[in-house]
Amino acid sequence: MSQDNNNKTPVWKSDFPIKQDESTLISRRKFTKLLCLLSGGLALGTGAIAIKSVACPRARIGGEYFVCEASELPVGGMKSSIIINDKTETPYILIHLAEDKWRCFAQKCTHLSCSVLYRPDMKKIMCPCHEGAFDPETGEVLQGPPPRPLPQISVIVREGKVYLTDKA
Amino acid sequence: MSDYRETQNLIHPDKTNILMATIVVILIVIVTLQLWIMYGALNSSEDSNQVFVWAAFGASLLLFIAGLWLLKYLPDTKAKEVKDPDNPYV
Repeated sequence: MSQDNNNKTPVWKSDFPIKQDESTLISRRKFTKLLCLLSGGLALGTGAIAIKSVACPRARIGGEYFVCEASELPVGGMKSSIIINDKTETPYILIHLAEDKWRCFAQKCTHLSCSVLYRPDMKKIMCPCHEGAFDPETGEVLQGPPPRPLPQISVIVREGKVYLTDKA
Repeated sequence: MSDYRETQNLIHPDKTNILMATIVVILIVIVTLQLWIMYGALNSSEDSNQVFVWAAFGASLLLFIAGLWLLKYLPDTKAKEVKDPDNPYV
């Protein structure tokens, strides 16, 4: 038994070898175990995303939020501001596309959260950072790297006043 | 006694090498798939698509379990030669 123990390399030596070639050597067994550890980390990360999406759903406006008088914004014009809620601040852009046609979107680009702007000459919502473009009618991605459409906010025009509310 | 294993080892001397390389490649594919799934889950959570996010978590977990199961087939290491059996620090 003691002879067996003597033949084994001590743990401290295998973990912290003296020779340089032994310390830089990573066996394929170790690499495989590292890959498995990484795989477990990714599974845990995906689980954390799932839990976070349940625990912290997207902030809602909650009720109607007054923006401006309808006459303040001409056709083709854009107004950007922030909806300040109890918990969150949501930057948005309000676009007056045509007579009686209003659209409102969250102002953060879905790629890397740069501020998007409406370009009436191109009839597109553009992100200046990476030339991403969105459809001002629907918020769908037209070009560039954004992976998903812009979140839309409902617009209500009542008695010449523009209000924003959560999309049903 | 059957000498099947010895004969097989003689015919395929690089069997362990192939087995090891295959496991490493499969694990790399698994990790790549999990990265792709995680990216999709992130996008879907921003889009409030709960069903996809939970399905992605299930898929990622299954892939991890498959990777763990693969470790069972890792070939054993060869016993290290000790130059001087009386001195373990050599």
